[in-house]
Amino acid sequence: MDNKDQAQHKVEQIARLARIEITEDERRSLGGQFAQILEYVDALKQVPVEGVPPMRGLHKNDAATREDRVVPSALPPEILRNAPARKDGMFKIPKVIE
Amino acid sequence: MDQNQFETVIGLEVHVQLRTESKIFCACSTEFAQPPNTNVCPVCAGYPGVLPVLNRAVLALAVRVASAFGCTVQESIYFERKNYFYPDLPKNYQISQYKVPLGKNGGVELETGRTICVERVHLEEDAGKLTHKEGGSLVDLNRAGTPLLEIVSMPDIRSPREAFEYLRTLKMILQYIEASDCDMEKGSLRCDANISLRRRGEERLGTKVELKNMNSFRGVRDALTHEQERQKEVLCAGRTVVQETRLWNVDRQRTESMRTKEEAHDYRYFPDPDLPDFSVPDELIAREAARVGELPLARKKRFAERYSLDEGQLEVLVGQKALGDFFEAALKYYSQPREIAKWIIGPFLEQVNALPQGMRGVSISSQNFAKIVQYFSEGKLNNLAAKKVLATAVLSTQDVDEIIREQGLEQISGEDELAGYVRDIISEQQEAVSQYLSGKTQAVMFLVGQVMKKTRGNANPKKVKALFEKELEKKRS
Amino acid sequence: MKEFTEMSGVKLARLIAEHELDEVQVGTASAARSRAMDADLNCFISVYPQPIKGEGDSALRGVPVALKDNISVRGKPLTCASKILSGYTAPYDATVTVRLKQAGLQIIGSTNMDEFAFGSSTENSCYGPTANPWDTGRVPGGSSGGSAAAVAARLVPCALGSDTGGSIRQPAALCGVVGMKPTYGRVSRYGLVAFGSSLDQIGPFTTNFEDCAHLLNVLCGADPRDSTCASVAVPDFTAVLNSGVKGLTIGIPREYYADGLDSQVRAALEEVQEVFAAQGARCVPVSLPHTRYAVAAYYIIASSEASSNLQRFDGIRYGRRVPRDSLGEVYGYSRGSGFGAESKRRIFLGTYCLSSGYYDAYYIRALKVRTLIRRDFEQAFTQADVLLTPTTPAPAFLRGEKTGDPLQMYLSDVFTSSANLAGVPAVSFPCGYTREGLPVGAQLIGRAFDEETLIRAGNAYQQHTAFHARIPEKYGPESV
Repeated sequence: MDNKDQAQHKVEQIARLARIEITEDERRSLGGQFAQILEYVDALKQVPVEGVPPMRGLHKNDAATREDRVVPSALPPEILRNAPARKDGMFKIPKVIE
Repeated sequence: MDQNQFETVIGLEVHVQLRTESKIFCACSTEFAQPPNTNVCPVCAGYPGVLPVLNRAVLALAVRVASAFGCTVQESIYFERKNYFYPDLPKNYQISQYKVPLGKNGGVELETGRTICVERVHLEEDAGKLTHKEGGSLVDLNRAGTPLLEIVSMPDIRSPREAFEYLRTLKMILQYIEASDCDMEKGSLRCDANISLRRRGEERLGTKVELKNMNSFRGVRDALTHEQERQKEVLCAGRTVVQETRLWNVDRQRTESMRTKEEAHDYRYFPDPDLPDFSVPDELIAREAARVGELPLARKKRFAERYSLDEGQLEVLVGQKALGDFFEAALKYYSQPREIAKWIIGPFLEQVNALPQGMRGVSISSQNFAKIVQYFSEGKLNNLAAKKVLATAVLSTQDVDEIIREQGLEQISGEDELAGYVRDIISEQQEAVSQYLSGKTQAVMFLVGQVMKKTRGNANPKKVKALFEKELEKKRS
Repeated sequence: MKEFTEMSGVKLARLIAEHELDEVQVGTASAARSRAMDADLNCFISVYPQPIKGEGDSALRGVPVALKDNISVRGKPLTCASKILSGYTAPYDATVTVRLKQAGLQIIGSTNMDEFAFGSSTENSCYGPTANPWDTGRVPGGSSGGSAAAVAARLVPCALGSDTGGSIRQPAALCGVVGMKPTYGRVSRYGLVAFGSSLDQIGPFTTNFEDCAHLLNVLCGADPRDSTCASVAVPDFTAVLNSGVKGLTIGIPREYYADGLDSQVRAALEEVQEVFAAQGARCVPVSLPHTRYAVAAYYIIASSEASSNLQRFDGIRYGRRVPRDSLGEVYGYSRGSGFGAESKRRIFLGTYCLSSGYYDAYYIRALKVRTLIRRDFEQAFTQADVLLTPTTPAPAFLRGEKTGDPLQMYLSDVFTSSANLAGVPAVSFPCGYTREGLPVGAQLIGRAFDEETLIRAGNAYQQHTAFHARIPEKYGPESV
């Protein structure tokens, strides 16, 4: 499968994973651009990487933990105020079917 | 087909809340039962721009649990993101550990002598809570970001009963090492199970079913039992078990298929770039391993050997670490294990159980407690008086001798003093005396009772009885 | 008070401290000028009714500053130039916001950007594109184009941006100002809406290196709220301003001067080398052999991280929600209509690279290439103290020129994304103008936590040249 097929094939599945509803137009244009981008990033496949560790974390920072102490946040009302829908101090959403 | 040809294979995934004041990645409180969305801040509410910062107590507790199970602990740990959308998950990813768990290859020894292997223990954050109402669901994020340790067993468990036993042991260990309260009602312990059946002697595992929605250890056992029988029936009928997730319906006492189309999950795990690697220094491992101390099973064996207690006593004393500690501390002051045990399990626990905080609400020193037991055994306090003293002493740091003095509860054991009471009663209770002398010797108990009444229970009843018998026999002759 | 449009931040602060100028008037005037000029430039998303000012003091007290609209300011809307954040008010200050307040600067507003910092032209904004003050038909670069344009037009002496693959340096080059991406871990990211968490850094836009050094003094330092922020001592960056470049070895990485580099850009860079050489620096050729893979590795890593970072924008707790009866549709339509085209492309690319079956081939491989790129720099820095490169292959392009071709747009980052991958500091500064009068930017790349050498070299350059003092005609002292 070449990149274009692969991309077209994948776009819908990715849209589902990413929870993004796309229009038919978007599906087509994203698919095309996506294939082009994939082709470009596929250049990495030429790089010999045997024995090279993947880079993770730029600086080791052992001081980067916090003490177990409660600092009450003064913000709950402001946090709720941003909610598109709320009820009884909670975020309201369409009924989730269990 | 013979139902006994099948062997049950069970693995458990247990999530326990680690005992901390604040959440795993922010400074919000982990306190239970607060008004909705009050223990929230921009970090645990998944606001734009926030970053997680690890609570170092969480790491320490996780290392302690790993040590208690004898797991190999990683020299350095890192966190990964588990990506999926759900409204109780504010960032729509959960910070967890996937590829490299904090600890692996440990085990939990059961009292039966079997050891259940612990494949891995790893850290993660809890999600919030959804409430389903007419016309919509509501999201409360108080729980979001609560530190959890996931403990995954190997499929080593062979029966629902053994699963129950494993959970009971696990809980006791975690409580012993003060890593978790393990209170299922407060959500600080949750358990999912995998169960499959295979023909005896077969190596290959059968198709497994995942069970969820069990709210108690008994629920786990019942769900597993039900599922075990269901799978047996399916297999005996020549059908195949479907790999799926089933929910335990406690009201109907059966497992039910989730029926939702199980979309193939793709969690897209990758290392969380917001958190650096954290080294787990040897000093931390050594310190936490030292805090593990004696585990319940070892303690039970030791208590049984050293103190010759019966099984019931052992169960109680080992069941709660604080009780066993108190027992041994009291022994230092009065080395009569059976007496001390009897008094702890009886009158003492009765008092403790009435306290809202249980053992944590107790103020009595082990020395004072030992004194009460000793006074009783030596006859200095009678049973009633000893219980009375204990009731006061449990909530106090006052010296027992002082309490006895203040309440006037010291037993009267002096022969001369008691003889006075005895002579008085003999002259007052002529009828009972005659009954005794006519052969109804049990009348002596009535007379003893009269002395007890006069002394408000403080007389030593054994001595009083002996004195009566001596006096009355004299009359007979 | 039009005269202070050409003043540096430091000079402005000095006049305020000496009571020659009134702090409140300075803030009001800067805001008023910004509002007036914004009709053409569209470099602000919002100019606050009243500047926000902290009580603290510093060498920049009273200086107006603008923040890219992906940095939290308590009580103010934060949009990231995205519809999906409409209605959202930030309930807390970013750490840099706190530090600006503590240093007594006055925040006059938030600047335009590519949505969620996805872009190199500031055309991907739901508030419309920003224009380049040197030619309003051209782009200012991106994604921090609003901040770059605001400083270039002298609406504010300084501004903050964020740089994930070049988003400070590339617009700084295209707008003719100084823009620095500090070492990863130098400045707290707390309160910066994350794009590529392992690459993002906040940094300053200024007209000169002296202001840059002062602003770094305000911004840098460990933060208990950001565990990726390094606990490395922060020097006084102004101490090296006059140290000169004598004895400095400047590496010239040949991969950055390959065919395809705009001839005027090449010529300008050669002159920069001469200026440094004349002051006693030694220029030596070096090689960063994996440079050609940087953009690909960068796009995979940045998009993967972004796809996860942007999952929180779901219409549940804040921002835009498209009301629907089912939760799945709320997610799908809120995100589908809330994100712009480029955001979707990046989220899709990132989701794909992390998905089962592709993770090793794309994400892990990109991280391995990242290791190789970092090693390239480590090797180069054994031969040179600092590297000199063009910031961009070409000067500002026309609006709409690359919007139809995402890949061409991505290649704008070809000289900048390596520094993010390696985590090292880099700065762009104006080093000349094309025949059309468009600024050309030069880039200095330093060792990790060695911003001082960048400041030292950059300031030495500006002491001997005047490119940084040039102001776009329309926005010079005679304007307003």
